[in-house]
Amino acid sequence: MAAERTRNIKRIGLQFAFWAVLGILLLTILQNFINISQTDQLSAYDDGWDDMSAFREDIKAMGVETKSLVSSPLLLADIEDPRNTTFIIAGVERDTLSFPQFDEDGFITIATEDGYSPSEVDAIVEFVDNGGTVIVLEDFGYAGSIGEAYGVRYSGYQLYDTNYVSELDYNYIWMCVQASPCGMNGTELDPATIEEHERWSSDVGEHPCAQFDGQSMTRSEAGVCSHHWVKSAGDLGRIEYNATYTMLLNNVTGLEIVPGVRGALKDVNVRAITSNQATVDVNGDGELWVSNEQTSETPDLWGQFNLSIEACASSSCDPEEGGRVFFVADGSALINAIYDYEGFNAGEYGKTDKFIPANDNRKWALDVIAESLMSTLEGEEGQPAENAMVSFDESRHPQNAILADSYNTVYFLLVYFTGEGLAMLALFVVLFITFEAVLLKKRDPEPWRHVFSIIYYGFGDANRYTYYAKTEKIRQVFLSKVRNQNGLTVEEFHAMSAKELVGLIQDPVLAKFAIEPGKYSLEQSVALVKRIKAWGRR
Amino acid sequence: MWTRKASFTFTGGIALILIGMMITNNQMMILGLTLITFIVVNSWVSGHGDIEVQRTLSADNLYKGDDLYVELLVTNRSNRRTQLLDVYDNIPHEMKLRSGLNQMRLNLRPGESARIRYVLRCPLRGHYSIGPVSLRVRNTFNLGVEDMYVDHHSDIVIFPQIKEVEEAFLRSRTPKMYTGATTLRTPGQGSEFYSLREYVPGDPFKNINWKAFARTGDLMVNEKCRDAVTDLYILLDSRDVARIGTVLKNPLEMGTVSAASLAAFFLKRRDSVALGIYGDGLAYLPPDTGDKQYFKILSSLAGVKPEGSMPLQAVTNSLSGRFSRGSPVFVISSCEGDGTVPAAVRDLVGRGHEVTVLSPSSIDFERLVSRIPRMSYEVLKLERQNRLTTLAGSGAQVIDWMPDMDLSQAIMQVRGY
Repeated sequence: MAAERTRNIKRIGLQFAFWAVLGILLLTILQNFINISQTDQLSAYDDGWDDMSAFREDIKAMGVETKSLVSSPLLLADIEDPRNTTFIIAGVERDTLSFPQFDEDGFITIATEDGYSPSEVDAIVEFVDNGGTVIVLEDFGYAGSIGEAYGVRYSGYQLYDTNYVSELDYNYIWMCVQASPCGMNGTELDPATIEEHERWSSDVGEHPCAQFDGQSMTRSEAGVCSHHWVKSAGDLGRIEYNATYTMLLNNVTGLEIVPGVRGALKDVNVRAITSNQATVDVNGDGELWVSNEQTSETPDLWGQFNLSIEACASSSCDPEEGGRVFFVADGSALINAIYDYEGFNAGEYGKTDKFIPANDNRKWALDVIAESLMSTLEGEEGQPAENAMVSFDESRHPQNAILADSYNTVYFLLVYFTGEGLAMLALFVVLFITFEAVLLKKRDPEPWRHVFSIIYYGFGDANRYTYYAKTEKIRQVFLSKVRNQNGLTVEEFHAMSAKELVGLIQDPVLAKFAIEPGKYSLEQSVALVKRIKAWGRR
Repeated sequence: MWTRKASFTFTGGIALILIGMMITNNQMMILGLTLITFIVVNSWVSGHGDIEVQRTLSADNLYKGDDLYVELLVTNRSNRRTQLLDVYDNIPHEMKLRSGLNQMRLNLRPGESARIRYVLRCPLRGHYSIGPVSLRVRNTFNLGVEDMYVDHHSDIVIFPQIKEVEEAFLRSRTPKMYTGATTLRTPGQGSEFYSLREYVPGDPFKNINWKAFARTGDLMVNEKCRDAVTDLYILLDSRDVARIGTVLKNPLEMGTVSAASLAAFFLKRRDSVALGIYGDGLAYLPPDTGDKQYFKILSSLAGVKPEGSMPLQAVTNSLSGRFSRGSPVFVISSCEGDGTVPAAVRDLVGRGHEVTVLSPSSIDFERLVSRIPRMSYEVLKLERQNRLTTLAGSGAQVIDWMPDMDLSQAIMQVRGY
């Protein structure tokens, strides 16, 4: 009983240990996925000062459908019309996890993820190859894997420029989207240094909205160019387009074109650069120590750095000729506070004592959208294409609620396991095992049946059988019979002499058996027992 | 609980959805979703077990081997149909289903009733309980099953069989014994007047002597003389060793039958019968007469189980002081594994009791279930005969009761060894 109890305790202990270890492992894995954030930012569906609701509202006002991807960019493969879709990645705030996967040669490779798994990057590349437009707004996060796909690298170091907004602080810098750097005149940007967008200038190839410049129309007729529409009289207004873009960035990093690396798109161009006096805080100590040579005393860098890079399928970057990817070195370029600076300054996103200067962030972003999604059909000029859609990547924004983050995670896992090679294989194996388990383990409740069962036996002690076949036992039984037969007590019987006993027995064979101990064969014993049985009946 | 069918449907549905997602096949995903939806919708259309049951038994007490008629009335007390509802009346494994079925699949309308009738044969004595009533609710396509039960029990006592005992068999060397009812000059249950006494609360009204009340003004009751030949004591051995044999044929079973039969025989003659059952401990029923005592004795015998190893000497030491002088004592024991039996019997005989030892032959019961080597068997039998001879020598009447022998036959062979 005690041994059984000990065994039970051990069994329960082992089971507990097994489930505890399994639970810890699961929690450890889940911890990688569910990452509750204290801040909920950069979402197109929230209207905080650090979210992007104003941008999304503008897009919707253009008549363009907006959607969000909360699971994984793997779903980009399911988009029916990539040519008329723009995918916006604003802030890649968390890393991803992926299985090893098969490479082009059929070997299994283990990828070191940086925000997006190789399959997700492949899905984005494929999307762009099919004519899609991607805007990547990122600074210190996890957009490295996307950049690498196009031969672009985020330096990840904080960048400072002399073109900063003096009434705010040195973290706010101006980015002029033009070939040469713009400059400052005192505390203001020098208008003389501001040039037109390199690609959208009238000299190279105009922006599609430029064709309506100066035309009078209603706001709805302006379509995707309605952000250039200026009201004149009644419902009418006039399109006022110009190709200069002075964008305001906050806490930026530098972008590099990786030398010697051929990305997925052949034409990679720098669209905006810093001034010549920009510096990069390489060691992140908040101090800038620079010289002509990078040493341990002067670890930081100075010079001119890239702020925006555009990768296109063709040199003209015409959406009709292939997809484009816009890299900007700031994840917060389109947040409500900067994008909708008027509303922010007016306190629409909460009371503020900081006033954001006028900027062209809105114009730039909407011009990218307009160029990408404007219909190319005759008679629909200025209007969004039939399937025009802007999709926001919300999959890499941690949520501040466990349910929301769990939902995103579950959705991510679902998409991941049904979209990526080895994960699909793993899922297939799991499904197979589950089927097997159901087949083997799942039993219907037994049908009720009355069983009449009284099969029960009480056994005697079988060990005594050999004992009762021994000569000594037979002799003892015989002597008891003699004593009983003659009505003697035990004492009287023991006091008898051998001669008297022989006289009582009156059988020479049995008398000899009673008096002379000796060995008897089985046959002799049987004969003796028969004789004893018959004795006394005469 | 889901059935196997439901589990397959669900797993299949999930698999189809996931594989459909993998290969971007909408039809497959829709089929999977349909399966899942089917399960979900089906779970809404389920029955219930809100029923009332009422069980009627043909008797509360039976004799071993008798038939018991059971009727179970099942009523749906809900406002909904039960849907497919399996009803199963749990009956002890020791009872055999003779006719009918103790289960039924029903689909009752609100307020509707159904009856389940079946007959049980009760081959084993004991205290039993029929119930609870198990219910199994199934939903429409047998995808979900829920088991529940109604905690409704019916208790039943199966008494040992009563065998006819011929009076002539119970002879005694003492001619005064067993000669029929005589009146004892002691108060008790009887027919003849003994004396008048004052009324005490609890006395039956029919015993009040109204004439005496009218005369004295006090309530007086008639006391009757106790009718009895004598007190009879039955000591039944229920030690663990008494289990040897088959479930239907073993020293204990035969002992209970003989104890019940003897008690019935003597109580019928208005004798007082006492019963002592020893095994794990001693259970003693003081002498008394009448149907109530008969019922008590049968109830005690119904619940006897083989356990313990109390020696007879301990029993007689404890009880002999309470035994009426000269009263007969029946010891029902295989006498196996108890060296104190001769001394105990000698002691009882010495106190003037007429001792009869009814000894089921345990060796022969053991032979029913074990292959005992012939020589060992003969020696064991010799030893047992020695033991019975010793008892007979102590002044007891000894009956060596073989398994295939009827009780009356066994009693007929009463002899002094």
